[in-house]
Amino acid sequence: MLDALLVAGQTTSADLISIVRADEARTAAALQRLLDLALAWEAPGGVRALTGVADAMRGMPGLVSGLRPSSPEPASPDEVAARLAELTPAATALLRHVDDHGGEGTTGSARRTVSPAEARSPAEELISRRLLVPREGDAVVLPGEVGLALRGGRTTREPVDEVPPLATSSRDVSLVARTAAGAAFDVVRRVELLLDHWGVQPPSVLRSGGLAVRDLKAVARELHVDEPGAALVVEVALTAGLVAEAADSNGTPSWLPTDDFDVWSGLPLAERWTRLVGGWLASSRVPSLVGSRDPAGKAWNALAPELSSGLAEEARRLALQVLAEVPEGEVLAVGTGIASLVQRIAWLRPRRPTVFADLVTAALSEAAVLGVAGAGGLPPSGRSVALGDLPAAAEAIDPHLPRPVDHVLLQADLTAVAPGPLETEVARRLHLLADVESRGGATVYRFTSGSLRRGFDAGWSSGEVRDFLTSVSHTPVPQPLEFLVDDVARTFGTVRVGHAEAFLRADDEAALAALVHDPRGRSLGLRLLAPTVAIATSPLDVLLPRLRELGAAPVVEAADGTVRVSRPDLQRARTRRGRRPAGAVEARQAAQVQAVATAIRAGDRAESSRPASAEATTTPSGALAALREAIEAGSTVVIGYVDNHGATGERVVDPRRLDGGRLSAYDHRADDVREFAVHRITRVRHA
Amino acid sequence: MNDGPLIVQSDKTLLLEVDHPSAAEARKAIAPFAELERSPEHIHTYRLTPLGLWNARAAGHDAEQVVDALLTWSRYAVPHALLVDVAETMGRYGRLRLEKHPVHGLVLSSTDRPVLEEVLRAKKVAGMIGARIDDDAVVVHPSERGNLKQALLKLGWPAEDFAGYVDGEAHDIDLAEEGWTLRPYQREAAESFWDGGSGVVVLPCGAGKTIVGAAAMSHARATTLILVTNTVSARQWKDELVARTSLTEDEIGEYSGAVKEVRPVTIATYQVLTTKRKGVYPHLELLDARDWGLIVYDEVHLLPAPIFRMTADLQARRRLGLTATLVREDGREGEVFSLIGPKRYDAPWKDIEAQGYIAPADCVEVRVSLPDGERLAYATSDPDARYRLASCTHAKIDVVRRLVQQHAGQPTLVIGQYIDQLDEIAELLDAPVIKGETPVRERQRLFNAFRSGEIGLLVVSKVANFSVDLPSAEVAIQVSGSFGSRQEEAQRLGRLLRPKTEGRSAHFYTIVSRDTVDADFAQNRQRFLAEQGYAYRIVDAGDLSSESS
Repeated sequence: MLDALLVAGQTTSADLISIVRADEARTAAALQRLLDLALAWEAPGGVRALTGVADAMRGMPGLVSGLRPSSPEPASPDEVAARLAELTPAATALLRHVDDHGGEGTTGSARRTVSPAEARSPAEELISRRLLVPREGDAVVLPGEVGLALRGGRTTREPVDEVPPLATSSRDVSLVARTAAGAAFDVVRRVELLLDHWGVQPPSVLRSGGLAVRDLKAVARELHVDEPGAALVVEVALTAGLVAEAADSNGTPSWLPTDDFDVWSGLPLAERWTRLVGGWLASSRVPSLVGSRDPAGKAWNALAPELSSGLAEEARRLALQVLAEVPEGEVLAVGTGIASLVQRIAWLRPRRPTVFADLVTAALSEAAVLGVAGAGGLPPSGRSVALGDLPAAAEAIDPHLPRPVDHVLLQADLTAVAPGPLETEVARRLHLLADVESRGGATVYRFTSGSLRRGFDAGWSSGEVRDFLTSVSHTPVPQPLEFLVDDVARTFGTVRVGHAEAFLRADDEAALAALVHDPRGRSLGLRLLAPTVAIATSPLDVLLPRLRELGAAPVVEAADGTVRVSRPDLQRARTRRGRRPAGAVEARQAAQVQAVATAIRAGDRAESSRPASAEATTTPSGALAALREAIEAGSTVVIGYVDNHGATGERVVDPRRLDGGRLSAYDHRADDVREFAVHRITRVRHA
Repeated sequence: MNDGPLIVQSDKTLLLEVDHPSAAEARKAIAPFAELERSPEHIHTYRLTPLGLWNARAAGHDAEQVVDALLTWSRYAVPHALLVDVAETMGRYGRLRLEKHPVHGLVLSSTDRPVLEEVLRAKKVAGMIGARIDDDAVVVHPSERGNLKQALLKLGWPAEDFAGYVDGEAHDIDLAEEGWTLRPYQREAAESFWDGGSGVVVLPCGAGKTIVGAAAMSHARATTLILVTNTVSARQWKDELVARTSLTEDEIGEYSGAVKEVRPVTIATYQVLTTKRKGVYPHLELLDARDWGLIVYDEVHLLPAPIFRMTADLQARRRLGLTATLVREDGREGEVFSLIGPKRYDAPWKDIEAQGYIAPADCVEVRVSLPDGERLAYATSDPDARYRLASCTHAKIDVVRRLVQQHAGQPTLVIGQYIDQLDEIAELLDAPVIKGETPVRERQRLFNAFRSGEIGLLVVSKVANFSVDLPSAEVAIQVSGSFGSRQEEAQRLGRLLRPKTEGRSAHFYTIVSRDTVDADFAQNRQRFLAEQGYAYRIVDAGDLSSESS
């Protein structure tokens, strides 16, 4: 409607309604709404759009119908029709082509000022009849009235008041709900897995602020998803506030789970899900772009700060709202369904840029991954999300989510299968004692000697391990597993390792025992390992003198067991030799002295030539005048100069030339001709 | 949430809860397309693989059925990506078809032009195809039929072979069902093979694969080439065929290292076919010696690589593969699929056991401790020698003696890897030994004596691993093995699984030295047996006497 108004310029409401290809009553209602919104007003000559509106709408997208506003003094429709009728077929084809391609084109070599009679090419034919209007350069535009005529007097070829239908097919309601719940469970599990992993091995933050492609690949492998899938999980964790930038233990900026994550992991499954969905719905992030390239050809990284769009949120909400219009028991048809939804949204929001359609498509696939939608339809939980009612969504999805289980099935092949999501505490413990072999709705753990040893390392005893296994298993613990636990327990700790700075060996057990128990030697940290071996926590150089004090006569053993005779090494330094010939040093000193003397003399000159009363010229124009004067007179002046470091000093110079903002002058102190920037000269004074 | 027995994991494994009331139904629904990977006591693991899905397609199942089965039986929602993947993978099979064209002979055709274009542009396929007939078909050189199928499988577009087979030279073969009948599953296996044209029949050891071969021959009624793993097994095939079919001894030839006869039914060993002299295979001509109507591959999972190349040239003949497992340790399942054919019949081990056709087995691992002297020798020895040292400890010999006593009166096999150990045991127990150097005739005499009950105890080396039929064995004692190979374990266990009189169960003992590499390898075996669903116990050698048999 607004579109038609802008095409037509100022016109009567009846005319206006007639050019919109739609039901008259509805068009009239739309016009009334425009008037109510004060986007249009009824001027004496007819209805016209508010002045600013046309400018606001003349942005990049152009008018939805692809028409230009009419020329200021449009020819009547009959006239236009008559001119159209005169055209050669080639010109008509050209005109239609221009109309189909945005109403703008270039003429190339066509002459601008020709009469219909002398037109030689189709383009000239059109220009001469003012069916195309020349603009700056060699551009031409198709005026609105011509476009209207081409389209049979209407702004569009298709009716605009018919809502594009959604292509749907029927699907079992419970299937939709279960598919969605499955996806919901998966995404929660994946986020948890991801952050559990990142809590231990955080990936570092790129300098540009994103996640490295390599790290994203690792995530994809870990989570059994493809890279776009991994990017979505990572972004969802970000929007839910579960991951943030922070310095890791080494101080490098890394992506770490937030403290909120700990709270989140304790929540019931449904609530965890709504947290993720809520974050996703309200965010402006565009995970679907990850991996694609920006206009400069650089690939977008996940978590990169630029990866957002102001339209993303609207696209998501709109996509869900439209999807919610699909009745229950029906879903978007496979293949055509998404395209029809995109079309519907384009009709609802005609003035969005073309990327909006991509965002809507992405929003739909994200919704499927997040379990908001399932099998192309919205389950009750998804409908609540579309309405923005997250608690209701949690309630609706809850019955479909797997119940947490508190037991596993232990099997003789040394695996344990948890037939559902394990309660967090049980899962943590099992995780310690066994390796995860397969994940999904259920988890398969495998016990190996290595995994059990991990448990022993963490302080479990074989009794505790057995008790735990018996308590979490509904079935008896298989005998081979018991054997494995016993085997590991038996070998665990057979070799003991510790720190010692030195060892003591003695064939005389009594002498060694006496040393170890001597109260004076307590600070040495002696401990008896065997009747003939002790260790000390003090280093050798402390230990040796102390042992001698205690009356022992120790001999030091080298690493290979041989006796090392210790005699303090005599220490010597190397004699220093001068490396420079004597003359060079003297020459340098002489030069330095000379330079100092020259500087002092120049300073003296400056001092002596500074009359107490002589007034310095400080204004820029005055300074320039004084310099020019000095150049002509060939006299010496003192200038105040700010050097490269910002320090102000005085120079005694004989100005030679002044141009291009630079003064070329003989500097007495440097004993050379130097260049001075005029703008840095603070003042000029005669010497 | 649905209360199904199946859990579909995102890594494409399916967990089936065995004790669930509807587990049997669910198993039936998923068995056609999922490969059973492990079957321990509570939860069985199946895996979805492209080959499994294509096997299902070849057997006439479509993606809809697969997805439906998963959705119906799954307890939790099925990962969406997995469903998409299933549909996509299954959709790939059969887009390309190998057909007989009345004018152009063998052609590769497709209803999906982009797929045809894609494969025709692939480098691997370049030399195998001839002129383009029209947009949807291209001539294939008949000699490349097998290679092309292999190449297409690698490209991920396996072709369905509709080109048919040559009938071969006719030769009457009938089953002689006198005093015995074909078991129902054997009949089904032979029939589904015949209907499918070519392919693999998977039956557990001891389930009578030879009979399935004989039944297939009675369908084909043509000259048959049978490829087996070794000479003893060749003789057994011959005996079995003489006993079970209308064939007479004169009609069956043996083609091995010792004898080279070509008869209407010829049994050849893989070894003789793959013998290479001066860079050529001198015995390859056997394949063209007659116009074979059927080729039977025994123990397909052991098929050596050169045989694959030869098989590629035999695509116009019907091919039957027999095996206990499709798993190949070298991962060449794809070649079996493309060159011999898809899986045509599969009966799980446990099902056949439940029907009483194979005996249940009780697997026991007996742990012995190395005596101190040997422990020290073990600890200080070369890593290469360790396994041998640990396997051949004297402590084991005493255990063998006690086990033999315990099972006195039951036919017993002692199986081992190291000849000197076996000799020592044989001497101690006063039992005959069969090893590599034992002449074939002597081997057969001993096996026959064992079968008839003349000898109650036999010590055998690994020569008896494959295809030696010793139905009477009730107890097997394994003293050493080749580094815990799963393959070997299945074969050795298979020796025991022939059904026993009075429904007794078989005993399978493995003697393992504690805290050595022997025990590490035993873990592999233990895992394999437990995964196959056998009750597996570990006992200490010291507790053995208190065990009741």
